[in-house]
Amino acid sequence: MSELTHASAQKRLIGGQLLGSSQLVLGGILAVLCIAISIAAPQFYSEANIIAILRQCALVLIVASGMTMLIITAEVDLSVGASLAFVGCIGMAVLNSTHSLALGMLAALAFAGGVGLFNGLVVTKLRVNSLIATIGTMMMLQGGVYLFTREAVQNHNQLASFTDLGAGYVGAVPVPVIIAALIFVVAYVTLRFTTLGRYLYAVGANERAVRLSGLRSERLKLLAFVVTGLAVGVAGMILSSLMNAGQPTAGRGFELTVIAAVILGGTSLLGGRGSLFGTLLGVLVLKVIDNGIIILGWNQDLQMVVPGIVIILATYLDIIRNKANVR
Amino acid sequence: MSLASTASAKDQPSLLARLFARQELALLVCLVLVLAFFSATVENFFSVRNMTNVLGQASLALTAGIGCALVFISGEVDISIGSLLATIALPLIIIMNDTNSLALGVGGALLFGLIIGMVNGYLVAYAGINSLIVTLGTMFIMRGGVYLYTGQRAISDDASLDSFIALSDGRLFNIIPYSAVIAIVLLVAFGYMMQHWPFGRQIYAVGGNQEVARLAGYDVRRVKFICFIISALLATVAGIILAARVGSAQHTAGLNFEFQVVAATVLGGVSLAGGIGSLTGMALGVLILQFLSNGLRGLGLPTEWQLVITGMIIIAAVAFDEAKHRRANGG
Repeated sequence: MSELTHASAQKRLIGGQLLGSSQLVLGGILAVLCIAISIAAPQFYSEANIIAILRQCALVLIVASGMTMLIITAEVDLSVGASLAFVGCIGMAVLNSTHSLALGMLAALAFAGGVGLFNGLVVTKLRVNSLIATIGTMMMLQGGVYLFTREAVQNHNQLASFTDLGAGYVGAVPVPVIIAALIFVVAYVTLRFTTLGRYLYAVGANERAVRLSGLRSERLKLLAFVVTGLAVGVAGMILSSLMNAGQPTAGRGFELTVIAAVILGGTSLLGGRGSLFGTLLGVLVLKVIDNGIIILGWNQDLQMVVPGIVIILATYLDIIRNKANVR
Repeated sequence: MSLASTASAKDQPSLLARLFARQELALLVCLVLVLAFFSATVENFFSVRNMTNVLGQASLALTAGIGCALVFISGEVDISIGSLLATIALPLIIIMNDTNSLALGVGGALLFGLIIGMVNGYLVAYAGINSLIVTLGTMFIMRGGVYLYTGQRAISDDASLDSFIALSDGRLFNIIPYSAVIAIVLLVAFGYMMQHWPFGRQIYAVGGNQEVARLAGYDVRRVKFICFIISALLATVAGIILAARVGSAQHTAGLNFEFQVVAATVLGGVSLAGGIGSLTGMALGVLILQFLSNGLRGLGLPTEWQLVITGMIIIAAVAFDEAKHRRANGG
């Protein structure tokens, strides 16, 4: 009995989104894209290319996992791109001075988590709209990273374990993909099968009701900000490992790619609705398009145009389908 | 009795509190403080030359800020204006190079701006898509389109028309830059519209409470549609001024411009939630940030510090504003 109510509550909260039509459409788009590109360019299905796509997806998926939680609570974080660059520089600097991957990783996580905490506190305690608050943080981080270092922080130690973080493999699978998969699974289980996850949906759907029922809605939002920050910390270290340096200019426009993937996956900016599975599909669609443009030898500047069209179109289709459902 | 007297003492706010209750006045005080501080610390800061220079620099954000404020007040956002700056510079410069006519170039740019505004407005108002998503999308599409078309190279202004160059370094009576004159005229005109025209009041009504506005017989969709068109056209004017200043169509023009304008508009007390704010407030917000950045440069601080300090000020200003509202609402 309790099992049953639990399941039905789950279904109502997530709105039957997991395998709802939204995901089906997105999955269909992904399949059509893959088939079309591989007909036009057979090398699309080579092992090397698939691994390249997955590696591209990993960075976005890591941060998008946190961002999905955050957007479900009806907040947003525009500072993740700027933070990504800063984290890479700090992580690399600590790595250079301590010769320890653990300490470098710790510094990166502490910094990025701190940024998330700061954003969260400004939004929940000072009640600043998260769009504005994180634009402010973005400016501070963009300026701050140049005050920290004017040029790339080079990798002086070449620790093997650090290089593996970005470029290593376990069997045939790149390490970043494994890290992304782990983070994704943890986030997925949290959102879908735990009370905490359902509270996050509830906060986004109706914050007042959540507060009246005795939950601390602010704590939940704060948590989502910190989780997003920590995800940026992980992604920042992987990125600096891949580039073999901490680049202050890295991460330009990264926040927009992440948010685009989350929205494409059917998560509503108004909060309370969305799923991580959708986000995964969103990331895959965007990165397959990116890869297709390169493989087909098209102009790489299309990599900006196509996602723009895709986000608007996907959202529009979602609206049309919702209207049809109501009827 | 004693309770009542303490209550009435609380009801009587101090002079300072009353001053700050009026948003524009509080902003004006901040602007004066900024001006006073840098006049005392930076040589030649408070000179006619520097003041008018800053005004000229501020003209871009002032012009585009009007549109940004209108869209905010109507309850939506437009973050595509930075990419728009780069986009409309293409028809402007190309047509001028071909025809040697400023009027045709500006006409072409405005036509482009109009179409972009109509697309944004249609997708938000009639297709019903969230405005953040729409303008995020068109921001990508326009920037990518400019990169595609130009191959990431600037297109220089070969016509070098005197009238076009005057937009960047010409000055009215040899004092005020023409760009600032344009911005001020637009500000006054739209400020008057917002207060005295029915359409201006309709924007406030739509942003304040969409359902009530609809029941009152306003065409909510049309109001929003027009706001996006105005925003795009004003950003086009800003883009024309920018193109004149750099003497070319730059594919990177206006990068992050949307964030600067949004920040200044919010600093000026225009609420993202819609229905609240004034163009005076927005203009003061732009001026505070512009003078601050000019003054900090005068103090010899690297540009990066300006970013950091601007970011902090935006958060602090909005937090302060929010705290004030909460106290006013007793919660």
